[in-house]
Amino acid sequence: MEFTEFKVLAAAEAQKAGLTDYELYYVSEESTEISMFNGETDSFTASLTGGVAFRCIVGGRMGAACTQELSAAEAAALVRRAADNARTLEKEEEAFFAAGGAAYGEARRAEMPVLSPEALTKTAAAVSEALKTCHEKITERCSAEVMTQQLRTSLVNSRGVDLSWEASVDGVYLSAVVADGEETNDDYDIKVGDPAEMDFRAMASKAASKAAAMLGAGVAPTGSWPVIFSGEAMCSLLSTFASAFSAENARKGLSALKGKEGETVASELVTVVDDPFYPENPFQRSFDGEGSPAFRKEVISGGVLRTLLYDLSAAHAAGKQTTGNASRLSYDSPVSIQPYTFLLAPGELTEDALLEECGNGVWIDFLGGLHAGANPISGDFSLQSAGFMVEKGKKTRPVRSFTVSGNFFQLLKSIVALSDKAVLPRASGFTAFASPAVMVKELTVSGK
Amino acid sequence: MIERELCAKVLEAAVSTGADYAELFAENSKNHTVNMVSGKVDAINDAVVSGAAVRVYKGLSSVMATTVDRSEEGLIRCAKKAAAALGNGKAALSVVLRDRMYANIHPVLVVPSSVPNAEKVDILRRACEAAAGYDRRIRQVTGTFLDVDQNILIASTDGVYASDRRVRTRLSVTALAEAKDGGTQTGSCSPGRRMGMELFEKEVDPEATGREAARQAVVMAEAGYCPAGVMPVAIGNGFGGVIFHEACGHSLEASSVAFGLSQFTGKLGEKIAGEKVTAYDDGTIPNAWGSLNFDDEGTPTRRSMLIEKGVLKSYMIDKFNARRMGLPPTGSSRRESFDYTPTSRMTNTFIGEGPDENEDIIASIDEGLYAAAMGGGSVNPTTGEFNFAVREGYLVRKGKICEPVRGASLVGKGSEVIMNIDMVGKDLLLAEGMCGASSGSIPTCVGQPMIRVSSITVGGR
Repeated sequence: MEFTEFKVLAAAEAQKAGLTDYELYYVSEESTEISMFNGETDSFTASLTGGVAFRCIVGGRMGAACTQELSAAEAAALVRRAADNARTLEKEEEAFFAAGGAAYGEARRAEMPVLSPEALTKTAAAVSEALKTCHEKITERCSAEVMTQQLRTSLVNSRGVDLSWEASVDGVYLSAVVADGEETNDDYDIKVGDPAEMDFRAMASKAASKAAAMLGAGVAPTGSWPVIFSGEAMCSLLSTFASAFSAENARKGLSALKGKEGETVASELVTVVDDPFYPENPFQRSFDGEGSPAFRKEVISGGVLRTLLYDLSAAHAAGKQTTGNASRLSYDSPVSIQPYTFLLAPGELTEDALLEECGNGVWIDFLGGLHAGANPISGDFSLQSAGFMVEKGKKTRPVRSFTVSGNFFQLLKSIVALSDKAVLPRASGFTAFASPAVMVKELTVSGK
Repeated sequence: MIERELCAKVLEAAVSTGADYAELFAENSKNHTVNMVSGKVDAINDAVVSGAAVRVYKGLSSVMATTVDRSEEGLIRCAKKAAAALGNGKAALSVVLRDRMYANIHPVLVVPSSVPNAEKVDILRRACEAAAGYDRRIRQVTGTFLDVDQNILIASTDGVYASDRRVRTRLSVTALAEAKDGGTQTGSCSPGRRMGMELFEKEVDPEATGREAARQAVVMAEAGYCPAGVMPVAIGNGFGGVIFHEACGHSLEASSVAFGLSQFTGKLGEKIAGEKVTAYDDGTIPNAWGSLNFDDEGTPTRRSMLIEKGVLKSYMIDKFNARRMGLPPTGSSRRESFDYTPTSRMTNTFIGEGPDENEDIIASIDEGLYAAAMGGGSVNPTTGEFNFAVREGYLVRKGKICEPVRGASLVGKGSEVIMNIDMVGKDLLLAEGMCGASSGSIPTCVGQPMIRVSSITVGGR
């Protein structure tokens, strides 16, 4: 059964159940992906998935249920489950649906073609070929993946919202494995966009060079050092601690930024912007997961926390307007507050000047185990790291298997310099992070 | 869920272009969670997962097509899509399906998906209230009641036609305590089993779950920061086994071994760990969180000895990677749902009992760390570099457990660290976790008795 048919059945069931406030959210994802190992096709996947979420307000509370089974019987069951869930809730904050008729910004989307299985295979073969000769230390254990995906979402509610969003997305991922004697290392590159416009050789060389640069890495000496996080590493930190900017988490006492709006929470060099229309991000959205308009906002300016991020319910509870940050990853994801592109605004120093400023310290390119070694509530982190020693203002020997420890919220206050270029390492369909390289006065490094 | 005759038709369509293996995996699951914040039901997630996947192999190539349309037409269309992507050969297999009646070694008494919300809320409330009332320093408590009712069917050209109903239930409590420096520290406890509502009569006391989360938060609230450096570490039983899961387990999965991407490729029969280390992957433990009757390719689960007295004995292998490796599958193929391509994963993976007493392990450490409870971690199997977090740690001085310390993580290279396991205790315990990898997020158990790692990098400050 198609969504258009299911939507009518579910609406009829809702009316039959006496529900006046309800919403349907539909997601369809069709994707095809090929994976090659050393130039041979290892797997090919064609996936057709998605589903429907139904939400309704009963007694001021929002119940939800979702399904992948589009049938008449399931339409009735879905509505019944959502209403039953609403009646079970005890949350005090009142729930709302967005009203129709709002004005929405214009989301530009990069044009990406729908790739045929033949085009995917050809592209993956070309990437594999580029990997073979990209570096003198490259091995035959490299892999290439190419995917094409068509996404469709629709959001309709009983208050007149009727929105839809469609995108065609292509992406290339490669993993370069290099070796020197017994020692092996890997790194990857990933790009979203039309593969016809990508330089696979440059991507392969970049990944292989990064991997090779870490061969023979030692362990950083234990101590307190000035630390520079590369743009990529800083994005890892931002993504780990972004939940602290959710007004809903603040309300629940799960954010260290609770009650800090209007206060200084970072060094005066720090400005953070949340932008649904960030030009470098190929995925731009003009509305959020509840149907509220998406818009650009400064979250931190000059170190001062201007606003947390809100959805309709959190905004009402705080006596504010929504910031349009209700996010829904898929049909079965609960609505949660997330940024769009969360950008730590660049500073003024080139990377060389930043290294010069650092003098002696540690440059960190990679942070691992963020889901375990970082506590988004307290801000404490102790993370597996890899990068380079900085000696007399230059990156020197590679170092790995050490940890860097500190507290994210103290780190924001101890930023002393930022590079002049922000990178956006991984644009996904939803939340992305962008950051320049960032120098922090002092953090504890644990190595040998 | 799908009649045998229709399964056979789907598989015939799947092998029509020359596949040498085809498999249909169909699923209809109910996933339900109730979240509680500050003693109130805050959110309920309620999802029906429904769809099917057809996989075909030819030599070392595999194709998977998935669909949410489980009608005859939808399934045949899906099978044809997979067949078309494989090539344009001729059918070379005849499909004969035989009903398999695997023993149900994980019986469930009361299926939670049929139980009203109110009963789940009651259990959750008991746990959260116990945590909130544990100590005046507890500032916030959140809890989750999770239940999954997964109905699956597997039919394959090697003759499997089998279905299973996999039920699992988990209670999870996180407590926040106000730390002495004004920040917050968290503690958590998340027991789960492949069981139904009887879990709370037989194995898990909701109040004790809440109190344990609160106890851990309060201990950590009093703790100073862990010092940084290389030192001997005693790691407690239960979730401490995450060290083996990250440092070694992932690197024994065929998904990396088959491609030569694991540090343990080609090391069968060689000594890879300390000689007191004997380790298992056992998917047959009755009602354990990571257990299954049979894996996601229809191979019965088993108890595999991975390492015997330090010597590598076995990998964890799925049907597809078995071809590349020239070794038989081990009942290790797993996927989060029909929408993920299955691959070799762990079930319940643990270090078995050793010869040492816990007191002797602690007494052997002059200056080091006792990691009483661990958090999660991750690993890059290619380099073997791993990390994991210490949830509850104590300094050890002159063989005595001293003050608690917080914020520690342990990092190292798997192949080196498991060689450094030089003492193994007797108090084997399993603990539940979720493991994420390419085939999705799946329930697994980790486990061990107390062990000693003679030297490892401790990240503190």
